[in-house]
Amino acid sequence: MINSISSCARAATAEEARYRIDRPIAGRSARVVALDAAAAEVVRRVAAMPWGASRFYPSASTFDPGRDLEDADVAIMVATADADGDAAAAIARACVERGIMTAGLVLGNRLDVGDAVSALRPYARNLMVTEDVDDVAAVLAALRA
Amino acid sequence: MLRAEVNELLTRTGPGTPAGDLFRHYWIPALLAEELPENDCPPVRVKILSERLIAFRSTDGEYGLVDEFCAHRGASLWFGRVEEGGIRCAYHGWKYATDGRCLEVPSEPENSNFCQKVKLTSYPLVRIGDVLWTYLGPPENQPEPPEFEWIHVPPEQAYTSKRWQESNWLQALEGGIDSSHVSWLHSGGLKSDPLFKGAKGNEYNLNDLRPFFEVAEADGGLYVGARRNAEEGMYYWRITPWVMPSFTMVPPRGDHPVHGHFWVPIDDENCWVYTFDYHPTRALTPAERQAMKDGHGVHSRNIPGTYRPMENKDVDYLMDREAQKRGETFSGIRGIAQQDASLQESMGPIVDRTKERLVSSDTGIIKARQKLRKAVEALRDEGATPPGVDPAHHRVRSAAIVLPQAESFIEAAREAVEVRPGVAHVSV
Repeated sequence: MINSISSCARAATAEEARYRIDRPIAGRSARVVALDAAAAEVVRRVAAMPWGASRFYPSASTFDPGRDLEDADVAIMVATADADGDAAAAIARACVERGIMTAGLVLGNRLDVGDAVSALRPYARNLMVTEDVDDVAAVLAALRA
Repeated sequence: MLRAEVNELLTRTGPGTPAGDLFRHYWIPALLAEELPENDCPPVRVKILSERLIAFRSTDGEYGLVDEFCAHRGASLWFGRVEEGGIRCAYHGWKYATDGRCLEVPSEPENSNFCQKVKLTSYPLVRIGDVLWTYLGPPENQPEPPEFEWIHVPPEQAYTSKRWQESNWLQALEGGIDSSHVSWLHSGGLKSDPLFKGAKGNEYNLNDLRPFFEVAEADGGLYVGARRNAEEGMYYWRITPWVMPSFTMVPPRGDHPVHGHFWVPIDDENCWVYTFDYHPTRALTPAERQAMKDGHGVHSRNIPGTYRPMENKDVDYLMDREAQKRGETFSGIRGIAQQDASLQESMGPIVDRTKERLVSSDTGIIKARQKLRKAVEALRDEGATPPGVDPAHHRVRSAAIVLPQAESFIEAAREAVEVRPGVAHVSV
């Protein structure tokens, strides 16, 4: 039967949306690394929540890129005002070599964390500066970490 | 990905819903001033936040926004006569003032006071700039009027249009926060659109298709910075402000006027998009104004006599596969506004965000949803006034700026993203 209604008009209804193929969506394997002591507290707290294949590192010193980036989809660096820029650079270099996306979450008032933001800017393709520590878990949940 | 219950929380804005209560803390556009062009002109149906209303302009120039339906038998006041200081129902002649008070019930005795017991729900309706603004919340919470720069510059410096989008408000708004689609979906317009072309910034855009993104909190919402490589040691930044709940500005290009949007829920499956262009320091040229009327830049070309875009879903958005093949448009759809709308409407009336696969370049969207959710919950649970209500939060600008690589966009561009009367916007 030929329907005179346009293809887009037919397809964009709530009824048609029900026919979208429903199949399991694989999560993303994130590596979440704290770059300073205050960030470590946040990472420990978030790590206690239920996650998929993601792994958490309260200290960059325990993070071995050669070992820990295997099968990773994204590396998320978490920092406060005292971010370790050298650690960020090392993680980012390892991610670039492996084609792994990098992101940074800097926790604190943007006026207080300028140095940390500057330290991460060259290395995090996506950087969020936020006063809300809940954003760490929110980002991970949104990414299906 | 967003949990189903959060998606419901943020997308439903009717009376009594948590996000509806949030919207009812702000002044929002109800209609364009051009829709009520003179005293005693025909009334206009207005549906916003899932409430059906009628707008009219009385004999003495007062604006009214009241329940669309007569209190008597529920007939629509769209058929009413606007005359002698009120609107009179065409059915039995009941007459209402701009504040909803019933002024006459002709079937009652002349000395009856029955009409004093009848009042329609009414909301304030005030003209600021080209827009008639309303506030649908409780009177005791009514904030000071909006102070967005575009509605306060002289009339010759601004132009506002409006279009109907057939999707939930949130997926439309998210397009305004998502800077990462611009290099793809809108790539064709940078070279040819009269309201964009010629800017130095366009070269940076087209030469670097993998921008870095930086999201920073603002008092009223967010700043989203997209950075691309510029000359040696420099970055080209495009800074997009979002003011809660649904105002965004697009970073400018050269000396072209600067533009943005205000998304207003009609109901949960439709929204109005108010789109503006203005220049802070000069009048728009006749050519610029005509280009906006013709649907260039971020405006739409609407079916005459309506606010429905010509490129709408009933005509498959006038898809032009040949133009797509030639590279004139990336998606085959004409115009930035409908390039966005076509894809956002294709998601369905309310997109199922449980099926998304977000990536880290979606950080701006993730943060905006989180900020909205927290504001909705804080209002619902603690009565907290949401960000963006304070008119001081409205005094923001977008900016396009080249900065040394070591500088923070939000610090170095602090003045650039603030309204400075008489000072041009910062643009490349």
